[in-house]
Amino acid sequence: MSDIGIKLIYWDRVLEAGFWILVTLFFYYLALRIQRALGGTPLANPVLLASAPIIGLLWGADIWVGDYQQGGQALIWLLGPATVGLAVPLYRNFARVRPALLPMAASLVAGSAVAVLSAVLIGDAMGASVETIRSLAPKSVTTPIAMGIADAIGGFPSLAAAFVIITGIIGAVFGAFVFNAMGIRDARARGFAMGIAAHGIGTARAFQEDEVAGTFSGVAMALNGIVTALVLPLLWLAFAG
Amino acid sequence: MRTALQLTTTFLLLVLCDSAGRLLSWSLGLPVPGTVLGILMLLGVLVALRRIPAPLGRVADFLLAHLNFFYIPAGVGVMTYAALLAEDLWPIVVALFASTFFAMIAAGLTFRLVARFTCGEEDKP
Repeated sequence: MSDIGIKLIYWDRVLEAGFWILVTLFFYYLALRIQRALGGTPLANPVLLASAPIIGLLWGADIWVGDYQQGGQALIWLLGPATVGLAVPLYRNFARVRPALLPMAASLVAGSAVAVLSAVLIGDAMGASVETIRSLAPKSVTTPIAMGIADAIGGFPSLAAAFVIITGIIGAVFGAFVFNAMGIRDARARGFAMGIAAHGIGTARAFQEDEVAGTFSGVAMALNGIVTALVLPLLWLAFAG
Repeated sequence: MRTALQLTTTFLLLVLCDSAGRLLSWSLGLPVPGTVLGILMLLGVLVALRRIPAPLGRVADFLLAHLNFFYIPAGVGVMTYAALLAEDLWPIVVALFASTFFAMIAAGLTFRLVARFTCGEEDKP
């Protein structure tokens, strides 16, 4: 590489990013194969099955996670355009979404309130630090929103991001069992509740299960993100600040 | 060849909606995330067209079926906070599990209850 002038493209970094994207793709493919071999069970969650060996690989080979995220950042960026695609099933299933406006509104209020309050109260009762509790509060909404909220109420945005991901995996893995235990069989209710509690990772699972569930999950994820971002910082400053 | 071009154009349409949404949200300081605005823009396009172009349907369905893939780097990112997570391990574990279950139960039962009185339940095994 020449060291005179300004380099426009750092090819070594592009190659490194490409390498880690291929590694991610490989472990994703492997995770899908395992999930299919196990009959598509939600217990074999692809995010969990693929990220665990990558974490192991980075730890084992003593590679800085920032190197991996050269490629990871590109995939995180692509999450945006992929999520925009939600407009397609939403348009396709609009005839089923529109009449469910009232159940969605009620479910949104109940679900988002319970998600925030139960996390904060349990964290507090079990003696977690103030920063941990404040970072737990927005755990059910998508990462960028949760980080903004955590910052606004005095938590750690990065810790909040980790809580968001773990929450999404818990919801995606156990959601179907919880709904079955509660006798909730309506695909709309299952999807919507999944999106409220477990945002995008829950939505990814819901799409694996059923397109209607996925659509309602996507709508719930968007609504919960907006409502929590608008309401949580105000209430927090009014009552806890 | 033509299909590949169509699929690429379609993907660029998704990128365009997302980027326009992010730009709008950021420049106006809106509390609505840019990607959500992007969804609404694409929905507006579909409403105007009154149909889903076949390549768009294919690309969107494919990406949504593999949405998990794009979350893997975020999953790997959790390792960065292992030390912070370990500090309050048990409160964190219990709070995350219990509150995710409670939120799913509250949202699911409320949806079902209100649906029963308004638009009717759809029981699907």
